[in-house]
Amino acid sequence: MTAVVPWETGNVFGPKTAVSIKGDAVGRLMKAAKRPLLVVGAKILEEEVDGSSMLSYVVDLSNSGQIPVVATAHTLKPLSNAGIQPALMGLVELTDRLRDSGWSLDGKGPHDLIIFAGITYRLQSQMLSTLKHFATHLKTVSLDRYYQPNADFSFPNLEQNVWIENLQKIIQALKPQ
Amino acid sequence: MESDFEKLGPTPKPSLTSLRDWDMKLLSRYKPFYAPVCDQCCLCTYGKCDLTRGKKGACGIQIHTQQARTVLLACTIGAATHTAHARHLVDHLIQKYGSDYPIALGNEVNVEMPHARTVVGIKPRTLADLGYICGYVEQQLTHCLSAVSTGQEANYLDFESKAFHAGMLDHVAMEAADMAQIVTYNFPKGDAKAPLTHIGTGVLDLAKPVILSIGHNVADSVEIIDYMEKHNLGHPSETVEVAGLCCTAQDMTRYHEQAKIIGPMSHELRFIRSGISDVLVIDEQCINTGSLVEAQAVKTPVLAVSEKACYGLPDLTERKVEETVEALTTYRIPGALVLDPEKVGAIATLVALKTASTRQKYKVIPDSSTLSRLAASCSECGKCERECPINLPIAEAVYAAKRGDLSKLSQIYDLCLGCARCENGCVHNVPVHSLIVGAAENKFRAMKHMLRVGRGPILDTEIREVGAPIVFGEIPGVVAYVGCANFPNGGLEVGKMAETFLKRRYIVLTSGCSAMSIAEYQSDGGRCGGPGLYEEYPGSFEGGGLVNLGSCVANAHITGACMKIANIYARRPLRGNFEEIADYTLMRIGACGIAWGAMSQKAASIATGCNRLGIPVILGPQGSKYRRLFLGRRDDGKSFDVIDARSGEKSSAVAQPEHLLYAAETMEEAIVLTAKLCIRPNDTTKGRMIKLTHFVDLSKRIYGRLPDDLSLYVRTEADIPITFKDEIVDFLEDKDWRPSQTPSIDPTLLPRLVRGS
Repeated sequence: MTAVVPWETGNVFGPKTAVSIKGDAVGRLMKAAKRPLLVVGAKILEEEVDGSSMLSYVVDLSNSGQIPVVATAHTLKPLSNAGIQPALMGLVELTDRLRDSGWSLDGKGPHDLIIFAGITYRLQSQMLSTLKHFATHLKTVSLDRYYQPNADFSFPNLEQNVWIENLQKIIQALKPQ
Repeated sequence: MESDFEKLGPTPKPSLTSLRDWDMKLLSRYKPFYAPVCDQCCLCTYGKCDLTRGKKGACGIQIHTQQARTVLLACTIGAATHTAHARHLVDHLIQKYGSDYPIALGNEVNVEMPHARTVVGIKPRTLADLGYICGYVEQQLTHCLSAVSTGQEANYLDFESKAFHAGMLDHVAMEAADMAQIVTYNFPKGDAKAPLTHIGTGVLDLAKPVILSIGHNVADSVEIIDYMEKHNLGHPSETVEVAGLCCTAQDMTRYHEQAKIIGPMSHELRFIRSGISDVLVIDEQCINTGSLVEAQAVKTPVLAVSEKACYGLPDLTERKVEETVEALTTYRIPGALVLDPEKVGAIATLVALKTASTRQKYKVIPDSSTLSRLAASCSECGKCERECPINLPIAEAVYAAKRGDLSKLSQIYDLCLGCARCENGCVHNVPVHSLIVGAAENKFRAMKHMLRVGRGPILDTEIREVGAPIVFGEIPGVVAYVGCANFPNGGLEVGKMAETFLKRRYIVLTSGCSAMSIAEYQSDGGRCGGPGLYEEYPGSFEGGGLVNLGSCVANAHITGACMKIANIYARRPLRGNFEEIADYTLMRIGACGIAWGAMSQKAASIATGCNRLGIPVILGPQGSKYRRLFLGRRDDGKSFDVIDARSGEKSSAVAQPEHLLYAAETMEEAIVLTAKLCIRPNDTTKGRMIKLTHFVDLSKRIYGRLPDDLSLYVRTEADIPITFKDEIVDFLEDKDWRPSQTPSIDPTLLPRLVRGS
């Protein structure tokens, strides 16, 4: 496997770095997860494809996999308007809770896979670092375009069209066969 | 100095461990949250040691302890920087004005230096007393630094306690630095009507010679202004433009309002490269370390004036002024180290006068055809964008510039941090940062705003007026926008946040680069046009007041104002009584700091000092790279228990305030959180209702619904905001809310403050 250089080239942490992964594999990972959680940040509101917001991909993703969503920052309102009912937590606050192996969003047992989407690169990197060191009970995956070395799994650095293809593959994999 | 002005409290001149119990109380409420920036330790020759996921280093250290250790190091660096600044100023001013020069702030300030009183336990009378204060801080910081040594401190909470100590000391040193310059240079002494002054890259008359000072230590700039007046060159801007960047600029205008401020640190490189400066004076702190090379490229001679930042330049301190001027103006040397402020005043002025006419050809920003030509060698690899600390869409903008479209580069200008890291990534040496500035030349030339000159401390008379409404919550909060210009989305966000709370009649304080960024914001949301916030809002410490305190060292007046509220309004003694004052602040004063662009170790220590005093601080998303936050857990209600000082009974004060140090993802999150972090256990029902009105309203506007945790803050029905009453009552019913049986009347974390104990 070829090593991936982090999107921010100086963002080099240490010996343990994310496994570079493709959309269909992420789909399988999410499908296999028993207690996944999708964390959606404000960058999702900025990123556009052909004039429409990336929000629709997140909504599709959540619906396809029946995955509960946490909206961070000010994504709650647009996500709610798009028809899903996310929980609201600050990203730092959520990461803090996730360190606690006894905590879960619905109180029904700990999460096993945390999926990050649309979170500003440097803050996401730091939160993934926290989870890498202090939440070894769960796996993390970044769905953003840029390689996040602190996740367990991350896309490599992708062109936008390739990224969209990968997101579509995840949605496809999650849909009931 | 006076040392018997009040009954002595338990901790005058605290040592590393004197306030450890208080620190542990805070740390049990607000547990450290670590986000490592590096998984290794490389501080000794055992390493690099891999500390990933619980592995131990050769010395036995683990990753969380290593983070706490690094935080202590950062806070000690930050505090030492301000302390060395204070020491230099005090020694210089004693030499100039004498050690007996009085510390006097006029009739409206009796509590002149609350930090000196509270921490050191003295009431300073003279400049010599400020030297005594510096001595204490210097000694303690040496102990703090020694704790970082390999094989020394081993517990992460003890590291954090020491980081609190360094942060507290930082405020003591900042207060000494600012007081020294206020009294000797006759800066405004708490003047709410301090004059408005000019700020912006377009404020200079380019027909005149230009002296530019960068840094934080105003001593040399003062000598430049004095030299000009003494030699019939008039006041700043009359014959020679005297301008500054970063905190030195703030303090220059406190000395003379005709001096001009170019802007925050993010404007440094772009302004040096513009070639406008005929001489560049670099004093200390926050200087781009490439300044000398950049200045050489546009033939701007450089004067380094601090022992702490010599820049490899020859020391010409002992040379005659004329010889140094000759060496600089003939470009025999690119710059000189001159450690005598009076000589700097003369040399800087004479060099500017001599070089101004010959340097006109360097005062050029490339035109559009030159910019496209410079962009032409771009191979479209996108590496420039990957170097950008805030991931601005630089690559597409450069590609567009190749095709002659400069509009995207111009848009980036507003958000750019000015670090030029983009240029490091370019294998074809495209001057990306220069392209950004060139594409926005019209903005660069037109940028002119007004900033209220830093006023220094809050008056005792103002504290008497607002002490009660702050403590009871009727003024909903004291919000301070402070710190550097490493903004996630440009400086305008700071202005937007400040305006949000000004309109809601919070007291808004500001300082340093954030104060400058607020000046760049107009209430219509734009950068140019209508009046700025300093023109719209008064400079007084009252609801709806926008109070620029001054440079970074003036941050001590923010924490100092909290101490003064405890002392002047509530009659709590300050002398050697830090713990009680911090307890009072945490329980009663709805203050919240926002360091939205925090970058430096100084910002880390300032924030940590605020935290020890019980003031929560919100950072921008990049603040997570400080490695440590202090977070409360509202689902662990017991961790927030307080004691009622009247009865000794425990009572609940969940999430009041919820966090002590937090990194927000976006401005919108920071706005709602600011309103929430101003809530305190001591709020009266009227005060709580007012605070909740703002918290609820902002939540509804930004999140589209009531806050999920609202029920925690409604103690009784009387707390419910009238505006949203029906909606909130329904919400509380759904949550099965019950009124608190034991609302805290006189909350404290200190059992010794219980009556009769």
